[in-house]
Amino acid sequence: MAVANPPPALAAGTLIEPKALMGIRSLELRARAVVEGFLHGLHRSPFHGFSVEFTEYRAYTPGDDLRYLDWRVFARSDRYNIKKFEDETNLRCQLVADQSQSMTFGSGGHTKAHYAATLAATLAYFLHLQGDAVGLLTFDENVRDFLPPRQRADHLRLLMLALEKPAGGRATNLAAPLERVAQLTRKRGLVVLISDFLAPLEQLERSLLLLAASGQETAVFQVLDPAELTLAFERPTLFQDMETGREVYVDPAAARAGYVEKMTAHFAAVAGICEKLGVAYQRLTTDQPLELALFEFLEQRRRRKTRGRG
Amino acid sequence: MSFLTPLFLLGGLALALPVIFHLIRRTTRERTVFSSLMFLLPTPPRLTKRSRLEHWLLLLLRCLALALLALGFARPFFKETTINDAAVPGAARRIVLVDTSASMRRAGLWAEARARVDLELRAIGPGDQMAVFAFARESRPLLSFGDWTATPPDARAALVNAKLAEVSPGWGATNLGAALIGAAEALIDTEGQTLTGPREIVLVSDLASGSHTEGLQGYEWPKGVTLRVETVAAKAGTNASVQLLADPTDGDRQTAATVRVRVRNAADAKREQFSVGWVPAAGGAFMGVPVETYVPPGQSRIVTLPVPAGPAQAIALRGDDEDFDNTVFVIPPVAQKISVAYVGSESADDARQPFYFLRRALPTTPRLALAVTPVPTGAGVPADAAVVVVTDALSAGQATALREQVLAGKTVLAAPKNVAAAVALAPLLGLATWPVEEGRPKGYAMLAEIDFKHPLFVAFADPRFSDFSKIHVWKYRRLDFSARPEARVLAKFDNGDPAIVEVPVGKGRVVVLATGWNTEDSQLAVSSKFVPLLYALLEWSGALAAPGAPQAVEENLALSAGPNEAVVVTGPTGPATTLAAGTNRFTPLQPGIYRFEIGGRTEVQAVNLDPVEARTTPLPADELERLGAPVARTKPSAVSPIGQEMALQGAEAEGRQKLWRWFVVATLLFLLGESLLAGRAARRSVTAPAPLAP
Repeated sequence: MAVANPPPALAAGTLIEPKALMGIRSLELRARAVVEGFLHGLHRSPFHGFSVEFTEYRAYTPGDDLRYLDWRVFARSDRYNIKKFEDETNLRCQLVADQSQSMTFGSGGHTKAHYAATLAATLAYFLHLQGDAVGLLTFDENVRDFLPPRQRADHLRLLMLALEKPAGGRATNLAAPLERVAQLTRKRGLVVLISDFLAPLEQLERSLLLLAASGQETAVFQVLDPAELTLAFERPTLFQDMETGREVYVDPAAARAGYVEKMTAHFAAVAGICEKLGVAYQRLTTDQPLELALFEFLEQRRRRKTRGRG
Repeated sequence: MSFLTPLFLLGGLALALPVIFHLIRRTTRERTVFSSLMFLLPTPPRLTKRSRLEHWLLLLLRCLALALLALGFARPFFKETTINDAAVPGAARRIVLVDTSASMRRAGLWAEARARVDLELRAIGPGDQMAVFAFARESRPLLSFGDWTATPPDARAALVNAKLAEVSPGWGATNLGAALIGAAEALIDTEGQTLTGPREIVLVSDLASGSHTEGLQGYEWPKGVTLRVETVAAKAGTNASVQLLADPTDGDRQTAATVRVRVRNAADAKREQFSVGWVPAAGGAFMGVPVETYVPPGQSRIVTLPVPAGPAQAIALRGDDEDFDNTVFVIPPVAQKISVAYVGSESADDARQPFYFLRRALPTTPRLALAVTPVPTGAGVPADAAVVVVTDALSAGQATALREQVLAGKTVLAAPKNVAAAVALAPLLGLATWPVEEGRPKGYAMLAEIDFKHPLFVAFADPRFSDFSKIHVWKYRRLDFSARPEARVLAKFDNGDPAIVEVPVGKGRVVVLATGWNTEDSQLAVSSKFVPLLYALLEWSGALAAPGAPQAVEENLALSAGPNEAVVVTGPTGPATTLAAGTNRFTPLQPGIYRFEIGGRTEVQAVNLDPVEARTTPLPADELERLGAPVARTKPSAVSPIGQEMALQGAEAEGRQKLWRWFVVATLLFLLGESLLAGRAARRSVTAPAPLAP
């Protein structure tokens, strides 16, 4: 599933190129740059009032709580509108970031791990700005770090530090972290899973189902390198698996078709699982601006809300 | 361009190495670290892609460096001169020594020897000089270096073959040592030419162990001369030989004359049973019953054969494969009759008188019938007496008659018993008066100043036998020979008086002993010197033929011919030949019975093969080396002589040009360029964009 059509303001050359963004060493600064650029562009965009908590206005009907009457709208439009909120409390978002070895691959000057960390930081920063509680769980074959969602100011820094840890591990185990999140997160909230999904999918569906059953709304970001999509190599070489170290002699020209076919099937399986479970699924390549990811994230949530309500 | 060591060009095969390395590098060196191999299947290596070469310039440089190195090691050179026949500086000088001794008569040996010489002729280089010597007892040139250079090159082989066709193995012994030394001397005698090439003796021989090599023992080989041995081997077979042995000692009192022969069987023989017997000199069947003898290989047996009555003059052995050493020629011994006249009046039984001792000193043996005939004083001396011994005073008639005989060549031994007998010798010696007085030494006199070079005493010349001091002389006659200056004093008494004097008279001689051997005068008769002295006198007089040494083929045979006597020789084959007058040497060339007619006399001589020559077992391989001969261990390589010549010239040209240095320099330059290029390529590949890896 590709990124949906971006808003014209975002597509108009104001986006930060990932290459330039990744040149910023501080993760926090990177996240701030993305969010502020996003917000900056948002001011000129026709889309208003995106908020996690805010869902919609509806016409006032007698009997509604007057606390939610939007007086400003009334002042502008002379109509009574009730602000509709999804949740009374603040959002609790649990970011689940893949820090396995396969995430350290990168062909465009930065790795998937960098990109994924920036994405996670961006989301965290954005949510933090909104006053939501953000937590983080990193994993490879095991769970590495777990920070429960908090709203405190210094919590963001801890989160950034955990995201900046180098990747490791010899495999990617998608099921364990999701199950762990399901165990640890009692309250309903949002779970954002960022991974390359280059792992067997046997447990994925069950884990996502577990999350959904525990009342967690789930969003999935699949981060991929462009080279991984097309097997963009020319010379036949020995290909070494980053996680297992296994070596295989591969002639890309000969193996490309089979590779793309198998990869497409794999990713289609991921998307299918997500679709089946109503999980927002978005595939990102590391050469795509992060603002788009943020935009798409919010857009999807909006659609889900709409759909859910409808 | 030519190469001195072209085998190194095989190093050019190493050119494949860089290509292989370039290809191998494509398959194994590069790794791409990839996030996950879960979608990748191993690709079977595609050959078309794998064999694609990159870095063509690098590969070319590496190949060139290797090729130049291989070329440098092959030592290239440019040919400079063409082969010049005349005076090639490195030309070899070679003497081919061909054995023509009797042992080469064995089946097939001579043909093989000629084939070996033919091989040598084919292997000769264009500038080489060659001489061919044949040798047996003596070495003689068939073709000298002078003949060789005087002959056109294309006619040389034919000339050598023609010369070889003229000779064939004779009957001589193998004097290998002398032949080798002669050849070595001939090689270093370059007659003023400066020759720098190798000098080599090629010995073509069967190297029988009977070869005389003792001459090599003290010989210092000239530097630069090498010896190559081309051994011709006989077909394995049994070879036994028969050798005539010396007569048994006189103490062996046998009634019938016998001849002893030694039958020797070769170590590699296959048969052990032989028969030996008398045959006619011309050959043929056994006369009478042969003696069967059993001789194991490597051993010898002595066979005694009775002398037959017939005309047999040869002893033959039958039962082996090689015939050349199977016959010995023998003159059957006959008892020699020698008559000695004794002029004296003593009784034969008086043990104190000279006659008694003389008779016992000259007994009769199977080979020697000695008769001592007493001649009373005044009686005539028999003319057939070989030696006349005078002890008593001669009558005037006797003296005159005896002088006639002495003048004709007779030998007289005079040992006057007293002064009167001595004085009576004066007419015999041709003196009118002869002052003689009795010498009376103090105590006793001894013999001194003996002339050991005289035939009478030559047998005593050895210091072991030269002690005459045990012969004491109590009485002697003091003789004065001042009137006969030709008289030769053979021994003196220790006081200076002459003791034994030889007085030549005409053709004959008178030996005067100043003392007698009767017990009153001296101890001479009872000393060990007495009998040998008498026999020496008999030999000297010519009456007793000296025991003839066994005569071997090609040895000089001394003849008793006078200065003007013609000698007619009848050999075992062919017609009689007349030697030039005055010749007293004859060299028989084949074994057999030789008959010499010398001035009416007839002498018969048996000539046999040198018994050593019959030892045909080959010499040990290192025998010549042990004797110091510079035996070349390696045979010359099988390259053609032209090839050898060119190789030599090539080596010289290469040594001058030293082209290999330039090839090595070029190799280094190419390697330097290769290093620079490779370094640059490596830097470029490092800076080139590549998939990012941690």
